[in-house]
Amino acid sequence: MEIFLQQLVNSLSVASVIILIGIGITLIFGLTGIINFAHGEFLMIGGMTTWLVVSNGGGFIIGLVAAVLFVGLLGFVLERGLFRLTLDRPMNGFIISLGLIVVLQHFVIRFWNSYQKSIPEPLSGVWEIGGVQIIVMRAVVVLITAVVVAITFFGISRSRYGLALRASVADQETASLMGVPVRRYITGVFIYGSMLAGLGGALMIALFPITPFIGSTIVVRGFAVALIGGLGNVAGAVVAGLVLGLMDGLSAGYGLPEWTEAYSFALMILILLLRPNGLLGGTAGPRAV
Amino acid sequence: MSALEISGLRKTFGGVVALDGVDLSIDLDEILGIVGPNGSGKTTLFNVVTGALKPTAGSVRWRGENIAGLPAHQIARKGLVRTFQQAMSFPALSVRENILIAHEHGAASVNGKSMSPSDILHFVGLKGREEEIAGSMPFGNLRRLGVALALAARPALLLLDEPAAGLNDGETEQLAEIILQLPGRGIGVCLIDHDMNLIASICRRLVVLNFGVKIAEGPPNKVLNDKKVVEVYLGAPT
Amino acid sequence: MSNSETMVDTAPAPATPESEVKVAAGAHLTLVERLIMPTILIVVLFGLPWFHPGYRLLSLATSTGVSAIALYGLAILVGQAGIMSVGHAALMGVGAYTGAILSRDLGMNLWTALPFAAIFSALAAGLVGLPSLRVGGHHFVIITFAFCGLLAIVLTNGGAFTGAASGLDIGAIAPLFGVSFGKLQNVYLLVAFFVLASIALTWLVMVSRYGRTLRSIRENEKLASALGIDVRFHKIVAFMLSGAFAGVAGILQVYFLQHISPELFGAFPSVYIALMVMLGGPRMLYGPLAGALIVTFLPEVLNLDPIDARIAYGIGLIAVILLLPGGVMAGLASLYRTLRSKVARA
Repeated sequence: MEIFLQQLVNSLSVASVIILIGIGITLIFGLTGIINFAHGEFLMIGGMTTWLVVSNGGGFIIGLVAAVLFVGLLGFVLERGLFRLTLDRPMNGFIISLGLIVVLQHFVIRFWNSYQKSIPEPLSGVWEIGGVQIIVMRAVVVLITAVVVAITFFGISRSRYGLALRASVADQETASLMGVPVRRYITGVFIYGSMLAGLGGALMIALFPITPFIGSTIVVRGFAVALIGGLGNVAGAVVAGLVLGLMDGLSAGYGLPEWTEAYSFALMILILLLRPNGLLGGTAGPRAV
Repeated sequence: MSALEISGLRKTFGGVVALDGVDLSIDLDEILGIVGPNGSGKTTLFNVVTGALKPTAGSVRWRGENIAGLPAHQIARKGLVRTFQQAMSFPALSVRENILIAHEHGAASVNGKSMSPSDILHFVGLKGREEEIAGSMPFGNLRRLGVALALAARPALLLLDEPAAGLNDGETEQLAEIILQLPGRGIGVCLIDHDMNLIASICRRLVVLNFGVKIAEGPPNKVLNDKKVVEVYLGAPT
Repeated sequence: MSNSETMVDTAPAPATPESEVKVAAGAHLTLVERLIMPTILIVVLFGLPWFHPGYRLLSLATSTGVSAIALYGLAILVGQAGIMSVGHAALMGVGAYTGAILSRDLGMNLWTALPFAAIFSALAAGLVGLPSLRVGGHHFVIITFAFCGLLAIVLTNGGAFTGAASGLDIGAIAPLFGVSFGKLQNVYLLVAFFVLASIALTWLVMVSRYGRTLRSIRENEKLASALGIDVRFHKIVAFMLSGAFAGVAGILQVYFLQHISPELFGAFPSVYIALMVMLGGPRMLYGPLAGALIVTFLPEVLNLDPIDARIAYGIGLIAVILLLPGGVMAGLASLYRTLRSKVARA
């Protein structure tokens, strides 16, 4: 039982990173129809930014803030410079994101080689609660994610902007007829989603070493979370992220680690086939190709 | 018995009733007009009859066979062909390819004498435009192409969904002339439109739908003066 | 009746001025113009070995040819039927592993195993295509990606049957009609033959009734089914045809490399296949070949190291998609048309 609880807590920290990625994807994909497969590379860049800052003598907090800001900026530049130009042809936006994967990945490899990078654990120590050992850093990751999720959730469900945003996700045309500046919202959401990916990268490198190739595994989980939870549905993404994170953690803890990735693939295919709008419902996404 | 016999046709979307037990019959030597306000169920009726949507209840009998719930392509192959308000053509393809596609598929058995693709283009006034890309043509020509595609599929009954929407008066008149010739060629026509002038000038029989219910049926002059129909269109007297 | 809706319904659509009406691309080409490309293709494809290209170049050309075969399969799916898939490397993998396993367990050679590779890949493709009947464009692209990831995991965890992460080895291509394939030159010519066959088959699809049917599905599914086309059936058939190409490419790849491992067929190779097709032009007959050539040979010509080549490739791809959404060959074709009409007018 203790081992189970320990695995549970460990899985929560993995789930956290997946949730951060998933929320970004669910909002961007749900609102704009952009399938940004390079979203995983955004996370990788976030992790690498933190690594650069920390290995040049900066603190983890500075590294984390730098990652969030830098990836946010990257998202802004790419949305305005590339994705905006493909909004009426989403499939081209997708192809461009595939090109971006290649560029970003090899850019990092070119300057900082392809080996895995790690930073010293920002917070060491273990809490013991009722026989369950909790690594402090993992608990902090879960906590930070919980706060960010709460802010995002209330921002979307309570604020005026959130309402306009949800209206835009549901029906862009009507929203813009009602005076919502949909284009600016798209940029805003893209930047916010990118910042979450930057944060995810910073938190991830605090937990494990990462390589320049981490993006493709992460982005598929992110899309799985977004689609299983229902596009544009933040609560859905959180639930789906928890399910996938726990499945990952528990399968690794109970002896089938080599099949870990297969579960999220299989679950995603199954859910998309049975309930195309996701488990918890969301928009069907902007029009197909 | 008529060629198409619809009885008790019902379609609901969640809690919304789009068709509430519609009875309707169409013969192949007539032009039937279906009118009604927006949201009255006209297009839903087309969608259910042609297999784009499955009915919730009721039957659609085509030449004696119940075709309710069959997939769209099978219904088309039986000679029930429709046009769309918006999706009129295959936009990136040439007019020639558009018409060939319809000609190569469509109804399996030929009903009466069928027209060749080039006859059809001549008939709708698109002769000489075979190499033009459909999506780059002016709107009026696109509407003609929509009708041409449906004709190339060898229909026995043609269902036209707002064929005059977006056309100017001259274009509408040309379209009316085309439609009026169809029953003589053995093709029955059922059309939906908002243009009362068009409807009244080419249909001998009208059906009025409101909230998914048939509220009137008969010759245009009688139906359009019907008290219930006037109420629906002009609002209830206060 | 609501006024605003009526207005939308009956407002005349903006008329396209007569001068902006476009004419179909190949409409007025002469017979000589139509024969230029095939002639150049056959001369270069089969003439290459007589220029003593050297082992490295010939080996690059062979692997480019192998990719091109798979690219033609994907181009039929994307360019004609309008269905995007980023799982095509997995289908190549099915063909490659079919070849390797049939050789190891049943002693079959390339020639006897080839039909099985094509059939198994086609069946796998049909399976991957099934969800496209239920879910639309975007969701489906992600499903193909997930299928591909799933296959790579299965191959890696397949134990002795699939050779796990280290993969499988296979012998050389068995002689056929007295021709031995010990020399690379003959392997190249064999692959060149299959490339030519793929292009010919793609051409047949494009000009036939079947190609028109697929294009109608790409352009307007609703209208296609209202005209009597069984959209679901044709989508699956297009998938299976596309998969058969990938299976042939896969088995040729395993016999060319004489070794395969799961990472050849994972998510990244799939992404590359999709990118090459889009780069060259999925709707153009010579688009896939152009995509494969550009990606393989441009870095060689520019003498870039592999990392820089990848970066240049990514940037080039993004530029092409933004500037020439139909791909390089579509851009060249429209350039040719413009020049031609200028010359004709002058």
